[in-house]
Amino acid sequence: MMQLIEKGIDWWTANIPPWAVIALIAHGTVMLTVAYLILLERKVASWVQDRLGPNRVGLGFGIIPIIKNWKMNGLGQPLADGLKFIVKEDYRPAGVDKILFTVAPGFMVLVIVISIAVLPWGGTRQTDRIISIPPGTANVHDQARRQLAQGDEIVGQPVHLGGDQYRVTYQYPFQIANLNIGVLYILAVLSLAVYGVVIGGWASNNKYSFLGGLRATANMISYEIPLGLAVLCVIVLFGTLDLGQLVEKQCHNWAVIFPAWNVCSQPLAFIMFLVCIHAEANRAPFDLAEAEQELVGGYHTEYSAMRFAMFFLGEYAGMITTSAICVALFFGGWDFPGLRGPDALHPAVTTSLIVCILRAVVFFAKTGLIIFLFMWVRWTLPRFRFDQLMMLAWRGLIPISLAMLMMTALVVFAFHGNTYNGLGGTAALVLLIFNLCTAFLIMLISSMIPPAPATNRRVKVIGSRYAETPLPAGG
Amino acid sequence: MKDSDVIILEEPRLSRADQFYLPQVLIGLGTTMKHMFNVVVRDKHRVLQYPEERREDLPVEKGGMLLKSYRGVHRLNKDEEGRVKCVACFMCSTACPARCIHIEAAESPWPDREKYPAKFDIDELRCIYCGMCEEACPVDAIELSHVYDIVGLTRQEMIFDKAKLLKIFDETVKNEPM
Repeated sequence: MMQLIEKGIDWWTANIPPWAVIALIAHGTVMLTVAYLILLERKVASWVQDRLGPNRVGLGFGIIPIIKNWKMNGLGQPLADGLKFIVKEDYRPAGVDKILFTVAPGFMVLVIVISIAVLPWGGTRQTDRIISIPPGTANVHDQARRQLAQGDEIVGQPVHLGGDQYRVTYQYPFQIANLNIGVLYILAVLSLAVYGVVIGGWASNNKYSFLGGLRATANMISYEIPLGLAVLCVIVLFGTLDLGQLVEKQCHNWAVIFPAWNVCSQPLAFIMFLVCIHAEANRAPFDLAEAEQELVGGYHTEYSAMRFAMFFLGEYAGMITTSAICVALFFGGWDFPGLRGPDALHPAVTTSLIVCILRAVVFFAKTGLIIFLFMWVRWTLPRFRFDQLMMLAWRGLIPISLAMLMMTALVVFAFHGNTYNGLGGTAALVLLIFNLCTAFLIMLISSMIPPAPATNRRVKVIGSRYAETPLPAGG
Repeated sequence: MKDSDVIILEEPRLSRADQFYLPQVLIGLGTTMKHMFNVVVRDKHRVLQYPEERREDLPVEKGGMLLKSYRGVHRLNKDEEGRVKCVACFMCSTACPARCIHIEAAESPWPDREKYPAKFDIDELRCIYCGMCEEACPVDAIELSHVYDIVGLTRQEMIFDKAKLLKIFDETVKNEPM
């Protein structure tokens, strides 16, 4: 029996690449979390409004014996909702574009699913395995390479143990895809998500849906720019687009105790980024695409049942991805005291699988905190008016983030002459001071620019009581 | 309307700090966090777990219901001998602004009155619970009880007949004497 299990494990490590397992677990976790995020959203909403939120449906659903009447604080609510969405009539109004109407929600989910691929869940794991290479093989390294699963990287030379047995030490990244342009990939893929909204709005053949889609486009175009610039502030510092490496470079301490996370050295860039991901994820106060008060439901007015649920899923999963990127860029990803590897130069490398899993848990927990911030903000701030939204992006965020980028580039060039391989304490302090200076300068300069044009003010309609020239008598 | 009667309100100008949104945003986040803290940690919410907790069980100053003046579903009162008090005078159905009371009078089987209602239907869906019937009744036969949680699966079910109205009397007379 034991032999059989051992054989099974051997077969597993030889044939199933780790990224496949991680992909399965990561996607499963994210999708399940989305359901519970909706519960959390409702809970946060009710807490803010002095209510308790859904607290009736337990996991027994009133059917399963023993736990039938346990309420569990509403833990069964998301599953009950999901079941409702599945069995509900999937209504499609007359006059919609039949293909695009179905494609749009699917597109939304697809985009989010593929964007999870590059998230650095847990650094790099180093492990070894004994494989058999037939004697007389010319290139042992190559032969060993061929026997390992895809994505594994051999460290050093395979050690000969006698006979045809070799011990191979190899590393694999604890993430789905180890892409060296991870950040670029995320930015590209996430901006595709708006296509789901636009296509959905267009296919619905409904003026409100269409307006919602249009707003989403304008929103996205405006906020992509400061988002990219805020990300560039970090990229310029470290000179890499690999999310795993970006995290690894934040894995040390300043002055022994302060974690070297980018949020400490670049708070202004972090705030820019945070504001932009709110817009990117179509969340309040930038959720003009689904402004209930003006556009009924916005782009998903005509959607119901599972198609609507997929839009929802996409929106919340998008929140997870953007928050995860935020954590990776500004909060040191999986970095946590005690989870760094033994090698100070490569703190991401660890031999323990448990450490990797713990890192993933930490990463997810940090992401959860950012998501909570999303919800907290949503139930605090009212929605921006459309002209205010545009004003904030074009007159506010874009100039500020440009200034931020120039400032960061200046610091990197003047104090180091090259990108950092890990920000030292002094450099971080300099960056922080420059950040604050930039913020101060912006405030100073902003008082000098002429005020914004008075839009959306009362217009004196001819003939009204506000008109300066009243209509001629009898007119 | 004269021009001098029109008050034109200008929206307040934002201060320099307000124009950067962030200070005000942080203040707002603080306010909501205070509420969240109160609910989650100190359990100071404003929720009534309805079927288990009811407003009529709470004191009025804590959000309870003032039963004295509450107008719920109707009841038909009975006299000491258990007979319906109504004399089928049609005062209530005449007074009813919603026209929801339908009475069919018949010769009374009892010597102390001429008529009694053979049928007495109230459409509880049409009723606006104004209490005019109660005011109009000369013999205090129709009254509005404190019962508010009446349900039905069909419209027909919500037309309460004499038997049902008398049953409501039996159920509520203990808590609300005539």
